[in-house]
Amino acid sequence: MATGQVAQTGTRIAVDVQQVRKIYQRDAQQITVLDGIDLRVPEGEFLALMGPSGSGKTTLLNLIAGIDRPTAGRVVIDGTDISTLGEGALARWRSRNVGFIFQFYNLIPVLTAIGNVELPLLLTKLSAKQRRDRAMTALRVVGLEDRAHHYPRQLSGGQEQRVAIARAIVTDPKIIVADEPTGDLDHKSAEEILELVVTLNREFHKTIVMVTHDPRAARHAHTERHLEKGVLESNGAQAGAK
Amino acid sequence: MKFIPLILRHLRRNWMRTASTVIAMTVCIFLFCTLQTFLKAVNWNLQSASSSRLVVRHRVSMVFNVPVSYKARIQSIPGVETVVASNWFGGIFRDMRNFFPNMAVEPEPYLAMYPEFILPDDQKKAWFADRRGCIIGRRTAERFHFKVGDTIAMDSFIPPYRIGHPWEFRIDGIYDTDPVRYPGTDLTMMYFNWDYLYETLHAIRPNSSYTAVGNYMVKISDPNKAGQVSKAIDDLFENSDVQTRTETESAFRAGFLAMIGNLALLLNSIAIAVMFTILLVVANTMSMAVRERRKEIAVLKTLGFSSALVMSLILGEAMAIGLMGGGFGILLGHWMIQALPNLPFLGDAVRGFPELGLTLPTAAIGMGTALALSLAAGIIPAWLAYRARITEMLRQI
Repeated sequence: MATGQVAQTGTRIAVDVQQVRKIYQRDAQQITVLDGIDLRVPEGEFLALMGPSGSGKTTLLNLIAGIDRPTAGRVVIDGTDISTLGEGALARWRSRNVGFIFQFYNLIPVLTAIGNVELPLLLTKLSAKQRRDRAMTALRVVGLEDRAHHYPRQLSGGQEQRVAIARAIVTDPKIIVADEPTGDLDHKSAEEILELVVTLNREFHKTIVMVTHDPRAARHAHTERHLEKGVLESNGAQAGAK
Repeated sequence: MKFIPLILRHLRRNWMRTASTVIAMTVCIFLFCTLQTFLKAVNWNLQSASSSRLVVRHRVSMVFNVPVSYKARIQSIPGVETVVASNWFGGIFRDMRNFFPNMAVEPEPYLAMYPEFILPDDQKKAWFADRRGCIIGRRTAERFHFKVGDTIAMDSFIPPYRIGHPWEFRIDGIYDTDPVRYPGTDLTMMYFNWDYLYETLHAIRPNSSYTAVGNYMVKISDPNKAGQVSKAIDDLFENSDVQTRTETESAFRAGFLAMIGNLALLLNSIAIAVMFTILLVVANTMSMAVRERRKEIAVLKTLGFSSALVMSLILGEAMAIGLMGGGFGILLGHWMIQALPNLPFLGDAVRGFPELGLTLPTAAIGMGTALALSLAAGIIPAWLAYRARITEMLRQI
């Protein structure tokens, strides 16, 4: 289903990016990475952001995830204008509302799989046992409960990315942002990871914003939006929507 | 508390580097505790010095003696109550390893001048009447199982006092003290009759300059006039062959220690130099640890760890190194200080300090120093991690 149709049905907007500009200052030169972006992502949507390298898609993703701030405009996520939050409040907001999946997994090498998944829960008031239980549940969702006590170096790339997905969902966030989640994987592993992301969207009703420049990956999303030189193409295209 | 396992995991990441840093910190705190304990023992010894007692010695050096005839002349100066001749004997009981300090003094006036030495009356009387008699401090008596009535033989390491055979002494008494009223009183000393020393030497070498008095202990009536009386004594012998230097007992003891240089300055300089080196070592360790973990710091921040929490985790790592190094350093210091008197060479140098032991305040200062050093070493890397922006750290990967 397309974005517009969802909006017409009155579904809540999960991500509302309004007239966002992002300018980087490099020495005396100003580089406009995003220029007047408007983007609305309904709750439960699976959006693929596409575009060539340097088009600003990762920057836009970082703004949606609250790990960067716009130069101008507003980023409203699930009703909260995160562009006005202070450093500490934004960190707290991220810990409760966003799950992040990186291209290179970014697991902590000194922690086991379950230790990595448990990390975001250290910021909650859960007891050690509750944390362990929840982390194990998340690992079960990604099919890696038998690898809970393995270190990242003992896992394959696909398994590492599954652990990273478990870490992203363990706090039960409403939104999951994924930056090239299959960019470092072989075709088979990439398909498995994308299936998992689709499952999170379909069965766990997570709103997903995924950056990719792989059209096969983008086909798993409901909607594709293309960025070109910091400008979003006007209409979203309906993707494969499995 | 829940972040402690995370901190420890990171410390184990490069265990060789962590272990090296902990060992460096251990050595630093061990040296600090040992040197401070040594200085404390020296200062403790100075505590027992009375402001109403002066010491008169040869102006050039305390290794030269002053004439016997000076006693009556010093006694005649207004403000002087008692004058007692004393000589450092340098006697060795069987072996250098058994060294304990010993002096020849005039028994009766000396005990009157030093009320801190507590001795039963019958032992006092026995010593006063015994030309070869001596009294020994409780610690030394216990160390060698000496009893009243024992006879001991000693040789001196000072050449003029070597007479071809050992000197024999009979133990007439074992003295104690009241540590509350008289803190710093040395219970390792041996005092014997000055007449025994003088008469024996006089019989062998009557005209030797060493057949004289090492120094005079002078009791004055008013401690406030110590400077005045000291000057009067030195002025009296200004035009004599042997000029004197008179100073308070504490100044004399401090000067005695100063013979090996400004001890406090020397030891504190060593401690500061070691600490500065360790500061650089720990700072380097923490910088490397943070630099190679920039990606992980970015991930932690992305997951919602606040900058302050990330900074605390890095400082926690630095302080864990300080805590381990400090703990091991204190344990090593405690063990070494206990063992020091029994070590060859070094043991002889410290055996004269009976109160040698690592105290709780010194250990606490040692631990505080370890934590402060590690905190100082970690603060810059932690601050850089605090300020670093997630997107910049992720982009540098």
